[in-house]
Amino acid sequence: MKRYDLIVIGAGPSGLSAGIEAAKSGANVIIFDENARPGGQLFKQIHKFFGSKEHRAKVRGFNIGSQLLKEADEAGAEVRLNSTVLGIYQDKEVVVRSGEAITHYKADAIIVATGASENMVPFEGWTLPGVIGAGAAQTMLNLHGLLPGKRVLMLGSGNVGLVVSFQLKQCGCEVVALADAAPRIGGYGVHAAKVARYGIPFYLPYTIKKVEGTDHVTGVVIAKIDQNFKFIEGSEKHFDVDTICVAVGLSPMSQLMKMAGCEMDDNPKKGGQVPVIDEHGQTSVPGIFAAGDVSGIEEASSAMIEGRQAGIYAANYLGYIDDEKMNEKEASLDAALDGLRQGMFAPSNRGKKIEKTEEGIDISENLLAKGYVADDEIERFPGVIRKIGIHPVMECTQNIPCNPCQDACPKGCIKIGSKITSLPVVDQTKDCIGCGMCVASCPGQAIFLLNENVGDGMAEVTIPYEFMSVPEKGDKGVALSRSGHPLCIAEVVSVKSSPAYDKTSLLTMRIPKEFAMKARFYKSEVLAKTV
Amino acid sequence: MEVRIEEHPILGEVKKGRKVKFTHNGKVMEGYEGEPIAVALKAAGVDVHRYTAKNHSPRGVFCAIGRCTDCVMVVDGEPNIRTCVTPLREGMTVDTQYGTSAEPFRDELREAN
Repeated sequence: MKRYDLIVIGAGPSGLSAGIEAAKSGANVIIFDENARPGGQLFKQIHKFFGSKEHRAKVRGFNIGSQLLKEADEAGAEVRLNSTVLGIYQDKEVVVRSGEAITHYKADAIIVATGASENMVPFEGWTLPGVIGAGAAQTMLNLHGLLPGKRVLMLGSGNVGLVVSFQLKQCGCEVVALADAAPRIGGYGVHAAKVARYGIPFYLPYTIKKVEGTDHVTGVVIAKIDQNFKFIEGSEKHFDVDTICVAVGLSPMSQLMKMAGCEMDDNPKKGGQVPVIDEHGQTSVPGIFAAGDVSGIEEASSAMIEGRQAGIYAANYLGYIDDEKMNEKEASLDAALDGLRQGMFAPSNRGKKIEKTEEGIDISENLLAKGYVADDEIERFPGVIRKIGIHPVMECTQNIPCNPCQDACPKGCIKIGSKITSLPVVDQTKDCIGCGMCVASCPGQAIFLLNENVGDGMAEVTIPYEFMSVPEKGDKGVALSRSGHPLCIAEVVSVKSSPAYDKTSLLTMRIPKEFAMKARFYKSEVLAKTV
Repeated sequence: MEVRIEEHPILGEVKKGRKVKFTHNGKVMEGYEGEPIAVALKAAGVDVHRYTAKNHSPRGVFCAIGRCTDCVMVVDGEPNIRTCVTPLREGMTVDTQYGTSAEPFRDELREAN
């Protein structure tokens, strides 16, 4: 039997963070993970993260993963891969399977950071090859360089469904529709807007009636549902697809905690069976802590903070840091966690219908139903202004904990203030120099640069562009509206890329000025033939 | 349909291992060393990994991270190998799994004949 001070189960964002903190305090730490590579799901997350600078906002998930691994290594936390923890037994004894070998380990404290697994909903044909989890699509695309299919229907409009739909498009898959049984889009409006700009239709409240095919998916029928989740006759829509992606939520993988005898709570707001934990992340079994999605479904940024806290609590439990030091470290992390748990998508608001922003502005109903803010709604938001000369237009219309745009602007044109969920405001007294740092910094791709009059009745719009075959200066294509509707011919006047933009190109297109407030996407001419 | 991504807009060039040969139901196929078996199969157009014991219904990849076990196959004679998390090696034999065996069910055999 091998002894350690602390065993961490799971090398995802929270497990790694926990191991780092505890190892830094001097504890002897081992982290187990069943996968061949560490990082949990971080390495498939290619979008820029939300939050503030302290939470590594605007850094892409996979880069955060690399940073955490380096940090764990420097702190001296041992990471053991291909090692499945089979059980937690009495006196914090753990049994680990690695290949054919089974090894006993014992620690004085355990942090369980096993994360979550994807949910499924049954429908006719749900077991057919070609029906895959949205996470599987992400794994294929971003880890293995493989398209999961050519024509895809996405079920579920939470952040996972939205983000994966976008990532599928980024690699050239066609997403024919996005359906959700809920009457409103569940994820961030900015993620929905990125998908809608492509013209991907949202069907709400719709769900899958049946999937067709004998050995593989060949088509799907979706239908509208009533309040009792019954299909409405005659509302069926058929799509030829080869793949169905299911993104209907996550459930905590809390089996190990149940096995360890921790008191459990069946909590739908937290995603299912979670351990009961005290304010120090400690379960009902002294010395066993929980962190990340296993203690309630949230997202990677909060999982990292929870992990750090659990590492500190465990270090205190083990006697490596005193109460004073623990409280001091905890206070700053608490503030950070609190910051992330604010706004419309805060865990406490789950399931509630929010009608006004914190500023008292009516929420865009069109955004919740169709994925984009309607033309007659957009100008009521404080980030959307009209001004002579180049200026940012921020189509950020929900209170999301995120503020990289404020830090990105070297001229101080963008103000969010100390409350991280506030809508961004354009300070019209400051002069925009058109550097585009705000456009590239926005994880929601909701910032555009506008010059509403460049002469000859034309305007210029700069958009973030993250797709294959980046157009070149002089190319002509079609400008698309927020709903993906073709508006007019657009000429590319510049395409900028820079290490500071982190793989987001800034494409500036010239269009007739009456479309300046409408054009938000560029479709190249080859593709444009199909519009 | 070509399903391999050569260059990803964010991740850049997709790194691949050495090209290796393996067999699927006796047929020689190619894939890249170290990638999951399921990825090599998908790239070669194989979607059905197994047929269930009771209803003989086809199954393929669902979660792709080794959790759901829907993609198990008979690999080098051993059944129930999770192909989505098992790295491909030169000369592997990968066979469709019927129940827990590589032997097709009688009705499937009849159809094949």
